[in-house]
Amino acid sequence: MDQHIIVTVDEDHAEDVEGVAARLRGLGMQVESVLGSLGMVSGSADDSCRPALEAVDGVASIDIQQDVQIAPPDSSVQ
Amino acid sequence: MFDPDQPLTDHVTTGRFIVVFASEDTDAPELLGSCGVRDVADSRDFDGPLLESGGPPAGPAGSRSGPSVLGGAAGAGEGSGSVYFAELGIAVVDADPEQLGTLRTRSIEQRRPLSVSPELVHRVLTGPPGGRGRRAAETPPSVDFADTAELTWGLQAVQAVQSGYTGAGIRVAVLDTGFDSAHPDYAGRAVTVQSFIAGEDAQDGHGHGTHCIGSACGPRDPETGPGYGVASGAEIFAGKVLGNAGSGSDAGILAGIDWAVHNGCAVISMSLGADVAQVHPPYVAAGKRSLAKGSLIIAAAGNNANRRGGDPGFVGVPANSPFIMSVGALDSSLGVANFSARTLQGRGGQVDIAGPGVNVYSSWPMPKRYNTISGTSMATPHVSGVAALLAEATGLRGRELWAELVQEAQRLEAASVDVGSGLTLAPPPADPSVPDGSAPRSYQPL
Repeated sequence: MDQHIIVTVDEDHAEDVEGVAARLRGLGMQVESVLGSLGMVSGSADDSCRPALEAVDGVASIDIQQDVQIAPPDSSVQ
Repeated sequence: MFDPDQPLTDHVTTGRFIVVFASEDTDAPELLGSCGVRDVADSRDFDGPLLESGGPPAGPAGSRSGPSVLGGAAGAGEGSGSVYFAELGIAVVDADPEQLGTLRTRSIEQRRPLSVSPELVHRVLTGPPGGRGRRAAETPPSVDFADTAELTWGLQAVQAVQSGYTGAGIRVAVLDTGFDSAHPDYAGRAVTVQSFIAGEDAQDGHGHGTHCIGSACGPRDPETGPGYGVASGAEIFAGKVLGNAGSGSDAGILAGIDWAVHNGCAVISMSLGADVAQVHPPYVAAGKRSLAKGSLIIAAAGNNANRRGGDPGFVGVPANSPFIMSVGALDSSLGVANFSARTLQGRGGQVDIAGPGVNVYSSWPMPKRYNTISGTSMATPHVSGVAALLAEATGLRGRELWAELVQEAQRLEAASVDVGSGLTLAPPPADPSVPDGSAPRSYQPL
């Protein structure tokens, strides 16, 4: 199943987030954004790719994206 | 501590005085000498500690026998000898009123700020409270703020206007539902907008974002209605990470944080979250890395409590990250709002600070223009605005700015699990007559 994920790049690769992203792409991740200041890569990948992605040099962790939802505009508490 | 509200006779004093010089004042002993204060020992002339027991250093004050070169600390009226502690920029001086008067006059003439306080005798804290010089803990007077024609209750509570600071030169990012760029209250303001929502521009199609931007950075003197913005002089970065329907995901929120950090925003305000107790690792890394780059993320604790119904709720994602400041909501009596989430036990899950979050008046997309709503979402931008004022006043960023916010907050009677360090407060006004520029709130010149 395709999952939206956040890849956190380790501190040793803080200056090479693009390089890590390229390796992730090569292993099947659909990269949406490369966040150079934070050292993260967002996108999506099939569950079956996950072990290979986690083994990429420079990857600290991979997390499934979560959603947030605020109250509607007419709510008194937001 | 010296309490300027108490007459001096309530304290046991030594007869000497403590003079605090500005940290950049490099020749304080010379100034003291020119005022007739004689024989000032300078700590730079001695290798060891001046107060070392049994071993008074050589020098004018060292001829005195006893446990300390400053033997006057043993009792009132016994003070003699003066010493300047160069590392602290502080002197203990044996001076008469005339010499102190000369010192004060010269400090003003030479624009060298200093403060003078009586030297107090300190004793080991023993025995039951209520002894001489002690006061029982006071219950603070009850308060009930209200919106006036000039200012919202929230701006009054955080003492934004008295501060004198406006957040000038500070970039504040508000990551939310965007911004109403046509709002007349922001005409002429520096506002940078960016959408991180596919298929939507940065225009606020909800209202929440424009409201939060208003509390953090809106005007204090709009053409109509009360002032409602804490950091009215800050530069606004409005990142749209929640769509017009009020929803968003990690990818957009993290992209917004990255954008704010890249643009040098000292403060990143996030009135958003999910009622998820489990700490989400990406926000641990994002919070930590943002702090390291000088950007402080401030997030809403959450609205998942129903305190009247017996449910105190819990701090959710992302505010439960250990590196993201979590904000609870107060009502106009500085009580905890019914909906405001309580500390989640575990690292990072605490409420760190609180702000005005009930019946908050602020900007809303046109044509409605204004709206009054409640939530930890409304408390958060008050803290973010104060953070901008503190960043301007102190120059501090990142973890140091976090510490400053917590230190300056007004402690409340409410439980710390609900309000953290209490009500966020704007910095006191700059005072050029006080060393290092910022006087304690209760400070009065002697």
